[in-house]
Amino acid sequence: MNWKPGAFLGLLLFFGTVGPAFAHGAKIVYTIDVTVNLQAMYDTGEPMGGGQVVVYAPDDPSTPWLNGTCDEEGRFSFTPDPSKPGTWDVQVRQSGHGEMVHIVIGKEGVTAQGDSGFNPLQIVLMGICVVWGFVGTALFFSRRSA
Amino acid sequence: MHIPDGILPATVCVAGYATSGAATWYSLRKINQKENPREGIPKASLLTAAFFVASWIHIPIPPTSVHLVLNGLLGVVLGYYAFPAILIGLFFQAVMFQHGGLTTLGVNATIIGVPALLAHYIFRLRSLVGNDSRVATGVFGFLAGASGLGLAALAAMILLITTVPVVVDVEAERASIYALALAHVPLMILEGIFTALVVLFLQRVRPALLEA
Repeated sequence: MNWKPGAFLGLLLFFGTVGPAFAHGAKIVYTIDVTVNLQAMYDTGEPMGGGQVVVYAPDDPSTPWLNGTCDEEGRFSFTPDPSKPGTWDVQVRQSGHGEMVHIVIGKEGVTAQGDSGFNPLQIVLMGICVVWGFVGTALFFSRRSA
Repeated sequence: MHIPDGILPATVCVAGYATSGAATWYSLRKINQKENPREGIPKASLLTAAFFVASWIHIPIPPTSVHLVLNGLLGVVLGYYAFPAILIGLFFQAVMFQHGGLTTLGVNATIIGVPALLAHYIFRLRSLVGNDSRVATGVFGFLAGASGLGLAALAAMILLITTVPVVVDVEAERASIYALALAHVPLMILEGIFTALVVLFLQRVRPALLEA
């Protein structure tokens, strides 16, 4: 037999490249991550740009799980560990001001929006009630003294 | 100025309640020694309302903004009624607007209320010149109003700087606390002028109100 190098190479390429496509299937592995997006701001509505973020996982509420910094708009995002379902505590602080939110994350994750403050109408109504309480007290005692 | 919940260690919060409790006891004792302790309540109630609302009035001082406190004014006009008035005002601010906090109520009452009492003593120094002197009333009114706020800002700054937790970037946090404290210098002048104008007005229309 007279083997030609070109024919051998052609045979090798045939089995070497096409062969594996017949031998294996394909699969895709995926996970769904829940990303928490938050925005920190002062009660004036001014964003807490550069605010320092400390995230505590449910299994250890005294040791930070993640540290970070808000962007200029006071925004910060993180992806909690899905193997730690429970209440995640997130604190944002800057120059002695700050707030902590408690985010409940189950095994299936969450899709929710939260807010730690009141809306402007609630604030105005509550403010009027309290001021009227003080004015009423003043009127009561001034009447008694008169 | 109002330190919220979750910023200070628990021991500081407890110490704040202890000092504010002592200051409240001392103030109420002084009020009770007056001939008619109820006489000052209408005035104290109205100024508590003013104090409560003042924290909504924000003044932009780049890169931050500060809000009116008026603790110096309360000290000048109310005397010993100022501390309970500030304590009640802070309680409602914390409960209604989450401005400040309940765990830090004692600390906030101490850092804002004690300087108010000091402002009261400063204003009483005008008697060295003469209570009828409009110049003395204006000057000591300004000094009392400005120092009331200044001492409160200084106390808050010292407290915050010495208790920054290690879990955050300590240097960055301290730098922002210094910047906020510095922003209170123009507010000191503003509250000093406002206090001087109020006491000059009261001296003209009802001088008895300044004899707290």
